Amino acid sequence: MADDQEEPPLAIRIDQTVEEPSRSDPGQPQNENFSVGVTVITGYLGAGKSTLVNYILNAQHGKRIAVILNEFGEEIGVERAMINEGESGALVEEWVELANGCVCCTVKHSLVQALEQLVQMKKRLDHILLETTGLANPAPLASVLWLDDQLESSVKLDSIVTVVDAKNLRFQLNRHRDSSSFPEAFLQIAYADVVILNKVDLVSREESEGALEELENEIRSINSLANIVRSVRCEIGLSQILNRQAYDATHASHLEALLEESKSVSSRDLHDSGVRTLCIRQTEGVDLQKVRLWIEEILWDKKYDMDVYRCKGVLSIRNSDHLHTLQAVREIYEIVPARQWRNEEKKMNQIVFIGHNLDENTLIDSFRGCISELNPSGTF
Amino acid sequence: MAGGSNVAETLSCARCGKPASLQCPKCVELKLPREGAAFCTQDCFKASWSSHKSVHLKAKLPSPGTDGAGEQNSDLASDGWLYCLRKGQSRTPKLPPFNWTGTLRPYPISVKRIVPAHIDKPDWADDGIPKVEPNSDLQHRVEIKTPDQIERMRETCRIAREVLDAAARMIRPGVTTDEIDRVVHEATIAAGAYPSPLNYHFFPKSCCTSVNEVICHGIPDARKLEDGDIINVDVTVYYKGVHGDLNETYFVGNVDEASRKLVQCTYECLDKAISIVKPGVRFRDVGEVINRHASMSGLSVVKSYCGHGIGELFHCAPNIPHYGRNKAVGVMKAGQTFTIEPMINTGVWRDQMWPDGWTAVTADGKRSAQFEHTLLVTETGVEVLTARLPSSPDVFPWLNK
Repeated sequence: MADDQEEPPLAIRIDQTVEEPSRSDPGQPQNENFSVGVTVITGYLGAGKSTLVNYILNAQHGKRIAVILNEFGEEIGVERAMINEGESGALVEEWVELANGCVCCTVKHSLVQALEQLVQMKKRLDHILLETTGLANPAPLASVLWLDDQLESSVKLDSIVTVVDAKNLRFQLNRHRDSSSFPEAFLQIAYADVVILNKVDLVSREESEGALEELENEIRSINSLANIVRSVRCEIGLSQILNRQAYDATHASHLEALLEESKSVSSRDLHDSGVRTLCIRQTEGVDLQKVRLWIEEILWDKKYDMDVYRCKGVLSIRNSDHLHTLQAVREIYEIVPARQWRNEEKKMNQIVFIGHNLDENTLIDSFRGCISELNPSGTF
Repeated sequence: MAGGSNVAETLSCARCGKPASLQCPKCVELKLPREGAAFCTQDCFKASWSSHKSVHLKAKLPSPGTDGAGEQNSDLASDGWLYCLRKGQSRTPKLPPFNWTGTLRPYPISVKRIVPAHIDKPDWADDGIPKVEPNSDLQHRVEIKTPDQIERMRETCRIAREVLDAAARMIRPGVTTDEIDRVVHEATIAAGAYPSPLNYHFFPKSCCTSVNEVICHGIPDARKLEDGDIINVDVTVYYKGVHGDLNETYFVGNVDEASRKLVQCTYECLDKAISIVKPGVRFRDVGEVINRHASMSGLSVVKSYCGHGIGELFHCAPNIPHYGRNKAVGVMKAGQTFTIEPMINTGVWRDQMWPDGWTAVTADGKRSAQFEHTLLVTETGVEVLTARLPSSPDVFPWLNK
């Protein structure tokens, strides 16, 4: 390399020197604004999780999907991934070792770092499935994967999909009635964004229609926010479980669903477990700071002894022309302005809670405390 | 590229001062800063060439087959100095290949330093693997320290401060970061404490030394500090069963204006963050304060690393991000101890990791600075456990004004 040139080289225009995209930064999306969706698949053993995964991998959809198979025990870690070569139709098992990332004082859990490395290694990857074998409660996983938008990560939590067995569900829900711990089925349904009601063919013919509707009602009474999809051998349309964007605060179709009054109905307490869905509604606009304190008292301080698993809602904030969304998983929550209220829309607050020991009156009364106060002249 | 610099670039010709639209292609190739390498015309560039090209010599890339410092490093190899790989679990005699983002390179590191038997050690000292820490429920809830724990932390943080001050007195051109590490190691042992970073997840040294574009977790090695460098030294000590953690960024000789501003702004970011600490404040607000101040100065905030709870564990709950709009859970309560340690960059916020598995560098090779304190929330506010002492070296010009 000659560094003692006598003659200077030709100077180059400054705008010609385009900064190269980060070379070995796994955390950066490969295309602007594109992150790979991560779907957590949970459910009882035998409900059909593996069937679902195999179906997704083998269906002719042209998508390149990675499946992470892991025994989640005490620690959430990732060891190996299996990738399908969806386009050619052939399923290729490719075991990829994923090194554990830095653990101390990092914002991203080592699982997230491992998934980012996977995305970077595999050039084009359309989706990632996390099949959880030993995990009864998907909440810790959701907490780890629900990253701040600010991190601009190349992976993004897309949804939690729970596979339930139509034939055995009622038995599973009733099983631990007298014990203090919940059967896994309640937690897995409570945290689901999509519930696949599988093996509907096994529910006997005579009782078929009524029985299935009853099951769906039971599921909705635990979690009214989830989409329920009936299936035989988990053969479903892929669009029903991929690219759900369930944790995207501004996603249009979720907002519409939340605003729809008929969808947001409180359930009666059908189970001794006390896990249920509850909806509160209020038309008066609220003060944003008061709402923050209100939700923090419920989620962080466990005021009123309520155990909230999931929460999703639309808020009408006083003095804002923007509809705000509220979303929470366990203690993690965010309130984000989503879009402007439309002229024809009736501004209102509508919040759905899924959890245990929820009390509707307490929530309604305490939420009323968030109403913004006007002084006598009608101004703030 | 996502996340560009916040600074609007209005460059002037290095020779005549007129607005510049051309730059030296060699500087681009060597990833040297545009400032000082921009010109308005080929004529000005040509006229500056003989003096300008010396910048390239300073940043010469190693030619294939030799290491960053040529023969010096192969001599070192025969003395047992090798490059670090795999987080410290292995060593190699050759500089590992990597698409370096700036001009800094790793140098070989010295052999492992000994800690005398009488020093109380954390559980990773022997095999590199923390056992209590990862499984503790203190990763999920924030501890309220007892008066006894608080008293021990005051003592330990005082020792950490004195050790860092000893390192600060070493800073000058020509000193290697390994020599700084030796001073930290010996000062820590002399105080009867253990240098917490040593063998923590296999980290090979007793402190972190982060030069220029290194954001954090730089590994002390054979490289000599150069006039114009900035260097962060991060010290954590373990004494009477608790850890104390702090870091500061120092100037080596005469630094340029941009570096001076970067370091001062970073100091102010930490200062402003500490000023809001008191019971009832949300952890997530720390990031808002830091982000606001950094943005106003046209600088960016590193997002991958955060402040952390500290006490009998080195790192535990809470996680305190330094960027805005984060979802950190919880509010501060009296008796909690944690660190705030903003890392602020001249250019983009993104970080990358070197092949050693520890060193985090800026994705664009521009400089980064950091400051850190261990804090105790009191009934009415905050106590800075690692605060400067009257004896602390006078190395920050803005403190005298």
